Formats: sequence, structure tokens, C-alpha cells
Amino acid sequence: MQARASFTLPTGVRLRVDIQRGVARLLSPLTTFAVVALLRFWLRLSVENHAELRQAYQRIRGESKAPLLICANHLTMIDSALIAWALAGPGWYLLHYDALPWNVPERRNFASTLPRRFLAYVYKCMPIVRGGSREQLAETLARFAHLLVRGEVGLLFPEGGRSRTGRVDPDNAAYGVGRIVRSIPGCRVLCVYLRGDRQESYSVAPARGDRLCVSLAFVEAKSDHPGLRGSRDVARQIVARLAEMEREYFDARQ
Amino acid sequence: MAQHGVFEKVVKILTPYVKNQEALDSVSLETHILDDLKVNSARLVDVVLEFEDAFDIEIADEDVDSVETVGNAVALIESKIG
Repeated sequence: MQARASFTLPTGVRLRVDIQRGVARLLSPLTTFAVVALLRFWLRLSVENHAELRQAYQRIRGESKAPLLICANHLTMIDSALIAWALAGPGWYLLHYDALPWNVPERRNFASTLPRRFLAYVYKCMPIVRGGSREQLAETLARFAHLLVRGEVGLLFPEGGRSRTGRVDPDNAAYGVGRIVRSIPGCRVLCVYLRGDRQESYSVAPARGDRLCVSLAFVEAKSDHPGLRGSRDVARQIVARLAEMEREYFDARQ
Repeated sequence: MAQHGVFEKVVKILTPYVKNQEALDSVSLETHILDDLKVNSARLVDVVLEFEDAFDIEIADEDVDSVETVGNAVALIESKIG
């Protein structure tokens, strides 16, 4: 059973979302190229099969206008930037700004000071406090879902935080992901597994000079259960798919 | 079911998820489930699903957002069981 779309935003909130998108879009020629410069020239990172990955993402965006939610494993604090960079170049994002994913980072990590809040704002982030007010969390998720319905891409880490073991934990699925997926009719879920060759556990960033391996797979997560149980089912299916992609990653390297 | 009965059952369900034993020892209706008892926010949904099973009720996604304290949980359950 799929839940109906239940995210309607008050006009003021919608306006604030539109303003953020507008400001971020305006500054994107600077912000997107700056991130790529940091990743390529300061961290000296590279991505395996980069051209094929970008073609795949362009194909995914081109073949359907359905809402798209990217769900990824989480090992470093800059995973969302790494994923965005892996999937497309800054020039392409300038022309297809909707395809640059929105993020929901932890406020204490990414928006604790004014400069950080500004950066989060212009990098399409909607910070949340993990374990904070449930009502604020619900409002942020509603804004996030609203953007997806409008054709923007969203990125979530369904494990809720960086994996402390360095591996995807199938028992650690944040049910909010399932709630979003079930609330958006026709929402497609693209699982992204990302890992640097030298990534042993969780960290702030990948090791300098590391080569990133990225794989993509759609998952059709469904549940016959209503309500919370259904949302938890969907979240667990997504995390289970990521765990499977992780097994494939390690199998391929044996 | 009297409020005290619901409260005791709620605390019993919460117990395996609690990381702050001291807060559990002095638990009251005002105790915050995440901040005081240090229940992992990702596990809150498991707790609520156990409420559903234990009291034979259905709790909507939106209702979970109002559950911050033990008292919120007790009130929500009481509203469902009438």
C-alpha cells in the first residue's frame, strides 16, 4: 500500500524554499566549481569509470520526470559533495540545476556557525538536529518532499549517520526515509554506494589521492503494511540494497 | 486502562532501548525520551511499533512527531485506546 502525498507546505515556508533555491542557483557558477576544485586539486580525488557514471546519471534524469531520491551509504562528512561530483560535472549542473541534490545534514556539523549556515544554504542543504524536535524534523522532511515532487533531486543517508563500523548496517535504517518515499507517489529510489579504495572506516574526508568507486542501482521499495510499519519496511529494503551493493564491491576486489 | 497502567507498560517497552539508566530510575511523565533516556532516534519508531502491538492500536506517522516525552507517549496511547 502506498501512502498518498501528504506534504503540503504553508505559503511562507514555500516562499522561503523558493528563495533559497534562487540564491543557491544564482551562486552556483561559483559554488559548484569551487567544490570540484577542492575535490580534484586539493584532495586529489578521482572516480573510477567517471564518464560512464555521468552518462548513467544523465540518462536517469532524461528518461523520467518522476521524483528521484538518492539513498547512499555514509562514510565521510563530504559524501554528498562526492556523490554530486561523481554523478555530473559543474557545467552540466549549471544547465540542469534540478539534478544537483538537496541534502539534509546534521545542523551541529554543518550549520553551527553563521559562515557554515551560509554555506549550507547555498549548497542546497536543509540542516536538521538529529534527535531534535520531531515537529521540526517533520517540517524539514515536508520541505524536502515538496522539492522532490517539484522535480528536484534529493539525497539522504538512510543509515542516519556515518557508519561507525565502516560497513552498511542493515539494522540501522532511519524510518524517515521510508516515510518520504511512501509519501511521494511514483518516487524512484536510486541507491548509490560510494567508497574510496583506502577507506577503512568512517572519516571526515577520503584519504588524499584516493580513488572512489561508485555504483548505482534502483530499488523498488514497497510494503503492504500501513503507517510506521510500512515506512520502516521501505527504509529497511533500501538499506538492505545498499548492503548488497557493498557485498558486490568487496566481492569484486577479492 | 488507568493512566498508571499505561505509564508502567510504556516504561517497560522503553527499557531495552534506554542508554541512560539513571534517568530510567527516576522516570516520570516529563522525562524526555531522546534527551533524558538517550534512546537512539532511529530506534524511536521501533518503540512506537511496540506500543502498537502492546496496546493493539495504530499510530499514524504524523503522531510520532508529537512523542517527545514519556507523558506524550502515554497521552497518545490513551487517546487511541479511548
